[in-house]
Amino acid sequence: MALIWNETGVVENDRFASGEETPFIDLDAALTAAEEGANSLAVLVAPGDDVSRLAPVLDRVALVALDFPAFSDGRGFSHATLLRDRLGYEGEIRAVGDVQLDQVPFMLRVGITSVETRHEPTARRLTEMRLPGVGLHYQPSARRSQRPSETSYSWRRRTADAG
Amino acid sequence: MYRYDEFDHEFVAGRVAQFRDQVSRRLKGDISEDAFKPLRLMNGVYLQLHAYMLRVAIPYGTLSSRQMRMLAHIARRYDRGYGHFTTRQNIQYNWPKLGEIPDILEELASVEMHAIQTSGNCIRNVTADHFAGASADEVADPRPYAEILRQWSSLHPEFSFLPRKFKIAVTAAEHDRAAIQVHDIGLQLKKNEKGELGFAVWIGGGQGRTPMIAKKIKDFLPEADLLSYVTAIVRVYNLHGRRDNKFKARIKILVHETGTEELTAQIDAEWAQLRGGELTLPAEDIASIQAYFAPPPLTDRPEGWAQLAAWKRTDADFSAWVAQNVAPHRHPDYGMVTISLKPIGGIPGDASAEQMEVIADLAEELGFDEIRVTHEQNLVLPHVALADLEPLYRALAANGLATANAGLITDIIACPGLDYCALANARSIPVAQEISERFGDAARQREIGDLKIKISGCINACGHHHVGHIGILGVEKKGAELYQITLGGSADENTSIGEIIGRGFEPERITDAVETIVETYLAGRSNDKEDFLAYYRRVGSAPFKDALYGEKSQAA
Ligand code: SF4
Repeated sequence: MALIWNETGVVENDRFASGEETPFIDLDAALTAAEEGANSLAVLVAPGDDVSRLAPVLDRVALVALDFPAFSDGRGFSHATLLRDRLGYEGEIRAVGDVQLDQVPFMLRVGITSVETRHEPTARRLTEMRLPGVGLHYQPSARRSQRPSETSYSWRRRTADAG
Repeated sequence: MYRYDEFDHEFVAGRVAQFRDQVSRRLKGDISEDAFKPLRLMNGVYLQLHAYMLRVAIPYGTLSSRQMRMLAHIARRYDRGYGHFTTRQNIQYNWPKLGEIPDILEELASVEMHAIQTSGNCIRNVTADHFAGASADEVADPRPYAEILRQWSSLHPEFSFLPRKFKIAVTAAEHDRAAIQVHDIGLQLKKNEKGELGFAVWIGGGQGRTPMIAKKIKDFLPEADLLSYVTAIVRVYNLHGRRDNKFKARIKILVHETGTEELTAQIDAEWAQLRGGELTLPAEDIASIQAYFAPPPLTDRPEGWAQLAAWKRTDADFSAWVAQNVAPHRHPDYGMVTISLKPIGGIPGDASAEQMEVIADLAEELGFDEIRVTHEQNLVLPHVALADLEPLYRALAANGLATANAGLITDIIACPGLDYCALANARSIPVAQEISERFGDAARQREIGDLKIKISGCINACGHHHVGHIGILGVEKKGAELYQITLGGSADENTSIGEIIGRGFEPERITDAVETIVETYLAGRSNDKEDFLAYYRRVGSAPFKDALYGEKSQAA
């Protein structure tokens, strides 16, 4: 069973949880559906997709699922950054696919808000709310974070709620 | 040099704790070796033929004595008493135990060091000219920018799972000692007509299976835009670099397949969106990082000139060492000293714990507490008064560290090869040792002059064979080791990729082949000012082919 998690904890009965059938439609289908007037779209963005194509229909999107087909495939991190920083999308972004614990802190930083994982040890640690990240950062990112102090270097950040 | 502030200390401590947690999950079986691999790689831990290997970052090759002593301590306590300095200005330990690596990282953190991003498909340790801050020919010290890039790239959330590894090098002189044209991004610090600092930007250089020389994509990038522009490059690469074939995944292939012009347009389009944003570097931030690299207080020491002349007259070995291993410093009373880690017949780049400690002491006493690691696997004391060269030399000589061969034929670069590396086709170290022995005679080396031999044990080219004046590549043919020779490579401002000269040589014939090449050059050069590379560029490969294969090809 896939676990859905966001920063408040495990999400039960999520309407976009992957079950027998996928709850998502692909990018092309989403563009067509939006043209036909559909709303509340759940779009699956594949690693090779050009996420900027979603720009004109983002107000009709309820959730963007970014596919991470393999641990080593980091294109989704750029997609999330572009969705937030460039396209101004404010809705939910979910990481799906081969999501593993050690990537989750990076995912949160680039603006991903929820993850779906089937990896049991990952699910366990997320359930326990024990994330492995470092709360200090040497670069700004899509997720809002503070300058550690007014005098610190311009590129440094501290996660607001870093525990 | 750069000193950690509270933020850096807290960050590195956090990273050590994170890695400790990852190791304990691995040892418990919560993470498979497959899933652990990218995690350990992002912290410099490789699985080699016989053991784990830990690669420790030495950012832009700069070390203090205290840090060098820690490297010695780690060699002694966790390894077999040795460390191996690499072509990327790092140090490798070949025998640490996985369970102890978090402890090693904690010890490193106590002297402001780490192993972050010394491997894996992320932005690697940023390298720079090893003479930075001391040489007369630079426009400014390149290391502050390398430090800014180091910080910005550390655990970058968007760029930690790139298609392949990503290497950045920075230089600040026309004469390129940082090999920027064989890096994913090469930055040359320069001044524009108004006297402002900025960078010429090169991308897509690299070695490995498909060696390529970088393309210049920007003639002058203002220093304030460094991070926004590099972000644009890496973002375009992250999104569009090939992920279907590991051998085609470096940015050089993207440049090649997309075309320099088109890719530059994509990068510029991305940059147009980023430029002027929060990645812009404020002048006061650049200035405060630069302040860390302020030159040491070099007082005038003119007495050195006369002393040096006197010592040189009485000691030929000392004189030869000064001529070969000491380069002119920006301050006329000082020199930049290369400490060769290439003793005749030794393992290139290896240093014992004792040697590291001796060097640390000498740097503290005579060298303003600064040590550099070169990409040629030697060490440098960048600021030594001429008046102190003689005692320095005596102490180095007493510890096997005064080989007078910087830049000569026995100053060989070699990768670890089949003695350690799981990917190797052939041994590298024994070949280097045999060539070093063959040409060990000091007078003969000096007669041959500048000649860079570089040896890799497989096509991954960690030994930089493509850019060796003489490159040697280990290949495997029908289960036997064979060495292929390339000639005419170079990694300076006139970068060139060496050309394969012909069929390979068996292990027992490779040193003879090198000797034949050297003899051909000596017999053919117009005078002793024409070095090997200049000769090769003038005459091409024909005389070498004749000498190596002539009789046989006629007989056939
Ligand atoms: S060149 Fe090949 S053999 Fe040598 S260290 Fe690199 S991967 Fe190993």
